[in-house]
Amino acid sequence: MNPFRVAIAVARKDLRSEWRTREIVPALAQFVVLALLIGNFGFAIDSRNAAAIAPGILWLAVVFAGLVAFGRTFAAEREQASLEAMLLTPASPVAIFAGKALAATAVLMVCEAVLLPALTLFFGTPLNAGLVSAVLLATVGMAALGVLFAAIVARVRARELLLPLLTLPLWIPFIVAGGAAVQSAMGIGSGYDEAMGLLLDFDILFVVLTSLAARFVLDE
Amino acid sequence: MNRYEKLAAIAVALMLVAAAAIFVYAPTDYLQGPVQRIFYLHVSAAIAAYGCFSVVLVGGLIYLRNESLVADRFARAGAATGVVFTTVTLVMGMLWAKPIWGTYWTWDARLTSTLVLWMVYAGYLLVRRLADPGRQAARIGAVVGVFGFVDVPIVHFSVTWWRTVHPGPVIVNDALPPQMLATFLFTMACTLVLAAVVLYARYRIETLEDVGMQVAEPFKVIPAAEPEPAR
Repeated sequence: MNPFRVAIAVARKDLRSEWRTREIVPALAQFVVLALLIGNFGFAIDSRNAAAIAPGILWLAVVFAGLVAFGRTFAAEREQASLEAMLLTPASPVAIFAGKALAATAVLMVCEAVLLPALTLFFGTPLNAGLVSAVLLATVGMAALGVLFAAIVARVRARELLLPLLTLPLWIPFIVAGGAAVQSAMGIGSGYDEAMGLLLDFDILFVVLTSLAARFVLDE
Repeated sequence: MNRYEKLAAIAVALMLVAAAAIFVYAPTDYLQGPVQRIFYLHVSAAIAAYGCFSVVLVGGLIYLRNESLVADRFARAGAATGVVFTTVTLVMGMLWAKPIWGTYWTWDARLTSTLVLWMVYAGYLLVRRLADPGRQAARIGAVVGVFGFVDVPIVHFSVTWWRTVHPGPVIVNDALPPQMLATFLFTMACTLVLAAVVLYARYRIETLEDVGMQVAEPFKVIPAAEPEPAR
């Protein structure tokens, strides 16, 4: 079986089920707007300090929306015990994992499509191609790690508790580099190209590592 | 005295000798004063912690290869011991930083990556406690251990790319006077012995827990027999 076709099929299945239930995306879209609201009142934002605070709020919203989105990745599979059925097919577990990760990445990117314009609207920060590509580049690696650990905690008690504990430390490199890239894309700080280069390196490294580890996590 | 008590006694005695070396033999630092004596245990504990986490990494990789229970127990023991030594490193570092840098904490590369190190392996211990013991838990632990080990140098590197205030490695570039160097090397050796003894004892505890689990496992509740229906 062609692993790429398996991955695409799994991703399409997940996205179709999301399209039919409309469960995660509307909830997360509302969630990120609420995060901006909390950021606004938590920081007492005015026109002078908005540019300094907006990148931090952006990453907090992305990180927590990501945790919720990736935590839900295996929820439906668990409730219907359909993951075991998928693993019984000749499809490789790595391809199944890649499909789940693709779908989760797409879902988080849809939320970011709500978050970034909302950030510009509420905080008056610039919205440019540099900013969007930095967030998207970070999303790829964060999704690979997040879905791997979502698969890990899917069979553990207190999974909602464990997913952030295990995932957040591993996301820190993405926040460090992504934070720097977004800051310079918003016109504060420099080093955009170096930060984007780092983000790309982290993406490659963690996508390779997670696909190597996926076999041990899903295979049972 | 059993084997573990003997080993513990040796380790404690060695640490007391190291303490004497630190406070009596080693000269007082000209610039920093007595607070510099934190250095000896601070760096030694960090090295011991790295050693413990290497055990987690190697144990995890061996487990993923051949499902060796021994490797998994060593990994668990290494994580528990490493978290203790990382805590020592962090707390002593903060106590040292306050008088010298004027603050307990700064977001420097080495501090940030050590804090991440602590959180990764504290998460490891938590996941091992919450996951039902067995193959699944051991695999989860192995994956977390491997990713944690890869993550820490990356965090370090990505923050260094910003800036760093932590002093670089003073030992390798010959900046220590011979008495300080001797004290440091001796303290490091003693700390490594202590870490090895703690890890070994912890390994024994993990083994006993595994055995206990296997004793408890086959226990099943047998439903009471249905009464024969009246004819």
